Amino acid sequence: MGLAEDTLTLFTREMLIFKKNLLQNLSRGLIFPLVFIILLGSFGSTPKNVPVAVVNYNNGPMSLQLINLIQSNNNVKVVSATTQAQAMSLLSQGSVAAVIVIPPVLSQDSASSIYVYLDNSQPQSASVVNGAVSLAAAKLGTSLVTSSIGSAPNIISVITDYAYGAGSNYESFVVGGIVIMVAAFGAMFGSGFTVISDRELGNMKAFLTTPINKYAVLFSKIGYGTVQSTFSAYVGLIIGLLLGATIAAGIVGFIELLWIIGLVGLSFGALSVAMASKAKQLQTYALITQTITMPMSFLGGAFVPVSLLPAILQPVAVVDPLTYAVNATRDIMIKGYLPVSMLVESSAILLIFTGVMIALAAFFFRDTSQQI
Amino acid sequence: MVEYAIEIDNLVKKFGDFTAVNGVTLHIKKGEIFGLLGPNGAGKSTTINMLLGLIPPTSGNILVDGIDMQKNPDKAKQEIGVVTQETVVEPELTAEENLMIFGRLHHIPASELQKDIDFALELSDLTDFRNKYAGTFSGGMKRRLETAKALMHAPQLLLLDEPTTGLDIQNRTQIWNLLRQINKRDNVTILLTTQYLEEADQLCNRIGIIDHGKLVALGTPAELRQKIGMSAVVEVAAAKDYLDKIASAFKKVGLDPQVLTNKVIASGGNAPVDKVDKLIKALTLNKIPIHGISMHEPTIDDIFLKLTGSSTRDQTGADNSKAAALMRRGR
Repeated sequence: MGLAEDTLTLFTREMLIFKKNLLQNLSRGLIFPLVFIILLGSFGSTPKNVPVAVVNYNNGPMSLQLINLIQSNNNVKVVSATTQAQAMSLLSQGSVAAVIVIPPVLSQDSASSIYVYLDNSQPQSASVVNGAVSLAAAKLGTSLVTSSIGSAPNIISVITDYAYGAGSNYESFVVGGIVIMVAAFGAMFGSGFTVISDRELGNMKAFLTTPINKYAVLFSKIGYGTVQSTFSAYVGLIIGLLLGATIAAGIVGFIELLWIIGLVGLSFGALSVAMASKAKQLQTYALITQTITMPMSFLGGAFVPVSLLPAILQPVAVVDPLTYAVNATRDIMIKGYLPVSMLVESSAILLIFTGVMIALAAFFFRDTSQQI
Repeated sequence: MVEYAIEIDNLVKKFGDFTAVNGVTLHIKKGEIFGLLGPNGAGKSTTINMLLGLIPPTSGNILVDGIDMQKNPDKAKQEIGVVTQETVVEPELTAEENLMIFGRLHHIPASELQKDIDFALELSDLTDFRNKYAGTFSGGMKRRLETAKALMHAPQLLLLDEPTTGLDIQNRTQIWNLLRQINKRDNVTILLTTQYLEEADQLCNRIGIIDHGKLVALGTPAELRQKIGMSAVVEVAAAKDYLDKIASAFKKVGLDPQVLTNKVIASGGNAPVDKVDKLIKALTLNKIPIHGISMHEPTIDDIFLKLTGSSTRDQTGADNSKAAALMRRGR
């Protein structure tokens, strides 16, 4: 007749209700991945089909070769223009992202320049054009040098090799963050939200009139929040995989992710129960949870790598438990390998956070007159 | 064998400066149906919450079936079945699941649980609906399920907080019959709070009226009528504009009027029939239009009004809302 048994009874109740509302719970896991992958697009990846206007004043074989090389790059789409003025007006209208002007004189013997006018209001597009032109020019220069002089060009070649994350894509990066955010938000709904709604509906009072250990209410809510958030996060993960994300660590990674996601659900379940035990109204609770969970997700690098955060915020990420969870999911999904030390570190931090939150929840919950 | 189902002695509850319950002593015998009445904010709910072990008293004792609620809350709670004001059957669970969860929360052994669930379904006349979600039930069915749920662990005491509020007369009668039945058959003591005075009058063996945190009256309905010393009540209903004129007519014939929102009432005193006769003449002479005139035995409502100065249903009043606010904030 102990705490464990009472917790199990109340947890059973939550799970029966969960089963009844399965469809609703399923949809909760769908929204974030769909929004971030489909609607937001490939925010971090290379733009495709960036329109550029090319003005060719040279019309020699070399310039045509150059244009062909630029055209062969899938990232840009060449639009021809007859005069520079016409091309510039296309640029000012925003019809093209850049204007490339090939001067009348173009030769590999003497120094000659190709002019590229960029619209940097779309920095990603601008850098793609810059890259495409440089690449084409380099290729052109290299091949000409090779054919005319017949000796190896004097170039220091840089050999790059992706030690980790060779098969990485934007989807894997963003899904790694999304599953953590979905888990955190899911726990807010599963745990704290139901504490408040049970209180408003009078269920809490009914539970407390039975001879149960009152803390069983807290533990069952945390348990349910963990299950619900893990479920939602896995729905999100599966959607992400269908949309192109990959788990580099394979099946083992799928299981490792369960552990990390479960811990996030547990710790945020505990956090939300602590807040729900104190917040009197649903509105207050919703405000507090959003104010906490949103910044924590962003600071933890769920969407943008921590290294891209403003310098003054980077130290804050160190104390955000989600940082460790997001790092772990990225390692599993992109690197394909979660070092044991990192597994221990992230688990320990999330468990300590959980412990502190449970203590806080129990402290707020000790006076049941505040809960009825 | 303990004689009393409930023994409350010198119960006090303070929320900060505000005293919600101020020295209530109340003993309820086993097998009684007891009605606790009082205007909102009178200390009724606070008393009930202390009795349920939800909030600790500032001072005083509560024994349920001889068990101290403070010292041994788990054992004391086993003896109480509760039907709260909000119907708290879970709409997302079936009737059977609702009963199963609360049976387990009351620590009914697994071997007996199914039998108790079947019994509760039968008692609430919901056997055919056992696998239906409670959310699809009518208000009356929910209330019956709730009542059966409260009785599943065979408590000595059934506590109902406004059990029939919001129910139509048919469902109300059904609940009353259910309560009488379990009281008679299983000798379950019933304590109910209510806003419907006729409910207390019809159902309860004894009535307690609580106001400003104190028990201001206690006894059988008949005893209360006697104790308060109210003779027949004279009542004249009329449009608002005429109430003052009617009140002065009351005074002329020797009645002490009390002006309410749509009527004037007074205790008839000696020879009330005579006074009514004179009153009708006075009203006719002054051509005061009235909606009705009557003389009747004092009801619990009249007693309540005389004792507390307000009707049970009267929910306004700065005093009460202030008390309620304090209770929410206080600890």
